[in-house]
Amino acid sequence: MIFRILLYAGLALLLPGLAALGYSLWEGPAAWSLDTRTFWGTPISLFVFWIGLAHAGTLISAILLALGVPLDRRTSMLAELTTLCALVVAAVFPLMHLGVIENFYMVVPFIDARGNFANVGSPLVWDFCCIAIYAILSLVFFVIHLLSDRFQALEDLRRPMAWLLFPLVLWVHTIVSLDFAVTFVPEWRGAFFPLYFIAGAIYSGLAMVNVLLVAEGCRVRMLEKLMVAGSFVMLAFWGWNFALKGDWNFSVFAFGALLPQLWWVSSFRESAVGRLLVSASVLFGLWLERFYLVMPSEPQGFGWTDMGLIAFSLGFFITLLVFLRIKLRKPIEGDVLLFGELDEKPVPVVEHHTEPLTSREFIVLRFPLLVGVLVALVYTLWAVSRPAFDSVALGVPHVVAMFFPIVALVAAFVLCIRPFWTIVPRSRFTVLASAAVIVVAAFLAGMFYAGGSSQKAVREAGADIPSETIFDGTVPDSLHARALWNARCSSCHGTDGKFNEKFIREFYPVPQKLTAARLDSIGEDSLVHVILNGRANMNPYEGRLTEADARALVRYMRSLAPETNDSAEVAP
Amino acid sequence: MIPLMNAFACLLSLAMAQFLWHKPIRLFKEAFFLLLALVVFGFYAFFAGDISQPDMESYPFRMLALCLCFSTTALPNKRRRYLLMAQVMWLWIEFFGGISLYYHGVDMPWTRILAICVSVFGSTFLSRISQGMEFALMAYWIAVWVFF
Repeated sequence: MIFRILLYAGLALLLPGLAALGYSLWEGPAAWSLDTRTFWGTPISLFVFWIGLAHAGTLISAILLALGVPLDRRTSMLAELTTLCALVVAAVFPLMHLGVIENFYMVVPFIDARGNFANVGSPLVWDFCCIAIYAILSLVFFVIHLLSDRFQALEDLRRPMAWLLFPLVLWVHTIVSLDFAVTFVPEWRGAFFPLYFIAGAIYSGLAMVNVLLVAEGCRVRMLEKLMVAGSFVMLAFWGWNFALKGDWNFSVFAFGALLPQLWWVSSFRESAVGRLLVSASVLFGLWLERFYLVMPSEPQGFGWTDMGLIAFSLGFFITLLVFLRIKLRKPIEGDVLLFGELDEKPVPVVEHHTEPLTSREFIVLRFPLLVGVLVALVYTLWAVSRPAFDSVALGVPHVVAMFFPIVALVAAFVLCIRPFWTIVPRSRFTVLASAAVIVVAAFLAGMFYAGGSSQKAVREAGADIPSETIFDGTVPDSLHARALWNARCSSCHGTDGKFNEKFIREFYPVPQKLTAARLDSIGEDSLVHVILNGRANMNPYEGRLTEADARALVRYMRSLAPETNDSAEVAP
Repeated sequence: MIPLMNAFACLLSLAMAQFLWHKPIRLFKEAFFLLLALVVFGFYAFFAGDISQPDMESYPFRMLALCLCFSTTALPNKRRRYLLMAQVMWLWIEFFGGISLYYHGVDMPWTRILAICVSVFGSTFLSRISQGMEFALMAYWIAVWVFF
């Protein structure tokens, strides 16, 4: 019953949220609240919130398993399921923010046929790779858990996998924190951000698991206590942030640290509604914290699109989670499985001394880890020899962020291949399915290597740009052109016509800047042609813009580069 | 921060470590002492150093990591595991804090990072940790803190 209500609630939020998502995809970054100090806005604040939850689920499950703290199967599977659903939700927002969604694979730092190589020194590139690897390994960890009651070989894999995931999840969330910490935004100044983000993710993850346990009709007191203890630690982080930068937000403090203390009141603690309120208060406080972090200035023009995106994220998460929870009812609620209160039972602690480097996990993991380290070393040496910009040499700190995720990916692959091989039934179907997977993987690799180059883009790189065309339509006015510019072009070219260099440098080689004089020498027709048909990294907009729109955009771009000021350059 | 105050921070970490992990180990008690330690370290960093300097951004958390390293030597069980984890946490703060500062033009503290790496690597080979070894480890951490 409760799941059905949650499913309806999720759908009620998701459907109007989809309208906001569609509008945002169509309009681009101009759709949501942005100003001169906020260049990321609602989507990235939602990304940081959901990715924190995504990291916390597996972390809680893996950390407790690795350290030998007993947690019942239902709770740990719920935590892992939260991770997978939150990852899917979180992935939507950076893609949306990218502007050119179909080119997302260009962020992968591997050279393609066009010679594109993403800037491996960029935290945004680290983000994509680390989170992708984390998503793959979390899925594998969940599948192993799901099947572990039927196959002993997989049950034996769980602890070694937990020891791989434990540092990986900390590493990946640290990388998310570096998206902020390496910038020059004064509010994001903080070499302590890696710890701060990890603490926040664990805290919000504990709250989310507690909310889900209320929906399940059970409770795990250990997780509640950890959550309340987490509020003390977060308070210390907020205090230091205040001492360092003078940033203090009362609502974050009230929801994130003050209200959770209601847990100390027994009537609150012992009622499901009370526990739900406390946990929901933590989640709201932590969401507010991310919101104010990403948008340091008071949000201007926070409108229905922003609200819709928030509703979309919440609705999508609830719908997906409840749907999967219903589908996986049997493995999560099996009769033989433990329920809820395991941590309350006294577990006899048997202390025994293990000689150094003789634990079973170490013996199982040492060969896969060695292979992983070798592969990561080869990749790192190769990547460091390919700086994105000739003028900037890459150093160890630029490339080291992807080292451990690559180690973990390769090690997990080596670790899992044998147990999975033993449990897969040998049949013609299995052979065919394996062959199909290999073919699809090879096809995707080929697509990736091709770099999405189209015939048009190749043609545009040549010299067959028409020297003269006759246009006899009506060109829209400058107001319309400005709206188009803000929606379609500003994510790369900037609202003021100068490069949005912070964004550009993450993904593409920075092209030559064009002065007003140079724009005139190229001519309006050629520029219209480039807008409609693309050129090098510029995507073709034919079908999405009319020729009249393109012409209006060229004239608007020209107006942004006054002839009297050489420094005011536009960058088509 | 001047070297004398930096050395004094080490002593303060050692002093705060005395409050952690005393039997009976209770979650809220330990969380409260962690909060207390962080507050004390925060005040110390605020008053003893110039917090406008980039390397002060993570100073209280580095002190906390050192404090946890000290405190793990007094744990009753599974000392090697938690001793390693505390040192890895210190390494984590130094390394990723260093990366964030590197992008702001501050050099990575490679010597300190390598010294902690050596300590982590060496600790994995420790068998039963004698009192002499506890003392040697603490002396090593103090040396890393004060001299690197």
